[in-house]
Amino acid sequence: MTVWHLDPEAIRRYAQGAAPPELAASAEAHLMRCATCRDAIASHVDTRRVEAIWREVVDRADAPRPSWPERILARLGVGEATARLVAATPTLRGPWLLGIAGVLALSVWAAQVDERLLRMLLVAAPLGPLAGVAVAFAGGLDPTREIGLAAPYSGLRLLLIRTAAVLGVTVPIVAAAGLALPGSHWLAAAWLLPTAGLTCAALALTARMTPVVAVGVVATAWVLVTTPTAMAGHLDLAFGVGAQIFWLAVAVGGGLWLAVTRNTVTIKLGRSA
Amino acid sequence: MTVRVRSATKSFGRTTALDSVDLDAGHGVTGLLGPNGAGKTTLLRIIATVLAPDRGTVTLLGRDPSRPDDRTRIRERLGYLPQDAGFHRGFTVFEFIDYVAILKQMTDRRPRHDEVRRVIDLTGLASVSAKRIRALSGGMRRRVGLAQALLGNPDLLVLDEPTVGLDPEQRLRFREMISHAGEGRTVVMSSHQTEDITALCTRIAVFHRGRVRFTGTPNELTAQAAGRVWADSQRSAAALAAWRIGDGTFRNVGDPPAGAELVPPTLEDAYLLLMGEPDLEVTHS
Repeated sequence: MTVWHLDPEAIRRYAQGAAPPELAASAEAHLMRCATCRDAIASHVDTRRVEAIWREVVDRADAPRPSWPERILARLGVGEATARLVAATPTLRGPWLLGIAGVLALSVWAAQVDERLLRMLLVAAPLGPLAGVAVAFAGGLDPTREIGLAAPYSGLRLLLIRTAAVLGVTVPIVAAAGLALPGSHWLAAAWLLPTAGLTCAALALTARMTPVVAVGVVATAWVLVTTPTAMAGHLDLAFGVGAQIFWLAVAVGGGLWLAVTRNTVTIKLGRSA
Repeated sequence: MTVRVRSATKSFGRTTALDSVDLDAGHGVTGLLGPNGAGKTTLLRIIATVLAPDRGTVTLLGRDPSRPDDRTRIRERLGYLPQDAGFHRGFTVFEFIDYVAILKQMTDRRPRHDEVRRVIDLTGLASVSAKRIRALSGGMRRRVGLAQALLGNPDLLVLDEPTVGLDPEQRLRFREMISHAGEGRTVVMSSHQTEDITALCTRIAVFHRGRVRFTGTPNELTAQAAGRVWADSQRSAAALAAWRIGDGTFRNVGDPPAGAELVPPTLEDAYLLLMGEPDLEVTHS
């Protein structure tokens, strides 16, 4: 049976959340058993603070635990709202990623058999991440596309979030495939800047056309220009130092254009208004 | 008027989905009635700012959706349930509605979660909020669609065939929810079920082949069939449509023969007559 009570100063400090940890722990244990002190503390309690704490407790207990990709992103410092948008990106689903990995594994095996196939793999490497960007906005694969089109969320922001998510996952897969190629590792990494340039060019085109069409235009131009030179063995034209500087300039230029026009240009996420 | 559409025309290739359509909708539930392919979904997608008309003007909530700034302001006050609302099936009900809430720019976690819980309670989904969407029945998924449309208490609610695929009990529950949602805001919904329209709508527009064939109240549409519905012991050759009813007699709709036993018309009779008379267009102010 409790025979002592908290003194008025302890009650005031505890109620205001100003008690040191040892006093707070002792007071809490006592309050669980002592109705007199509970009554005494009631008049000191800020009801708004208690309600805010209670709402937070309910929210923590009631809201579902974030999925593992969301938890990883949160640890990397990504906001929980952005993490949820990333988790809903269609291209990040297992079957799609397994498909990319499978095609690349076959390509690497083929490139080891024939040098011409190695060159074609370099031509094809940027197309994987680009296709991922297109698929992230393809109507058939994004089940909530129609709802998303009618929502006020910034089209450019959604486009950049999904593109970053797709590149963040597909580039390491393609890079791993590149490291398995015969010959120079530098050559195996030569597709990275073209990928960045092509992606920025496609994003810049989304003011005029949907992401799927923009990626189609850019990818077609890339294949038409690079395939003949790569097949002829002139890899420098598409992947040499001069070409790398060109693709860096395209990537920077596309990024700057997106930044400058972010408030004035409407991104066409679909066949929309 | 919350919704004002004038001379809206929209084509897909050679198909004209909407042909110079006018529509006004204010507070309460306005129903678009018509057969499949009549243009209802195209008009609703235009009102939801998902599509732009090829020609004509649209004003929503006093703003012009063809202007980017206005379009964003409209979308902030709009709820939309598409006909084939898709879901991320791996998400739980709570996660999915939370995802749409983020798209509706509710970025602060706690108020957003409070709003998600509000619409979940409103649509009777509390008991399944932690369930994955792939485990839900079609009726429950339709409720999830309605719940996401109600996020943020929108002033304009656009519902495309909200009761399609529901069993009779679910349809009644849905009607109740839509009726409740229509209090104090503008709801524009489509249906090819005349019962839904009769039960819910204060105004209706009947669509046929991309054109509006009738606008007015349900009673005004029903009145179109006065004197043109009769009971008979057999199917009448003069009827546009005839079917046997519970007492074994035939209900005939069309131009009755002399001496026919006229019966009070329903909205469905008037709708059938309107669909059977291709040149008729009726507008009530």
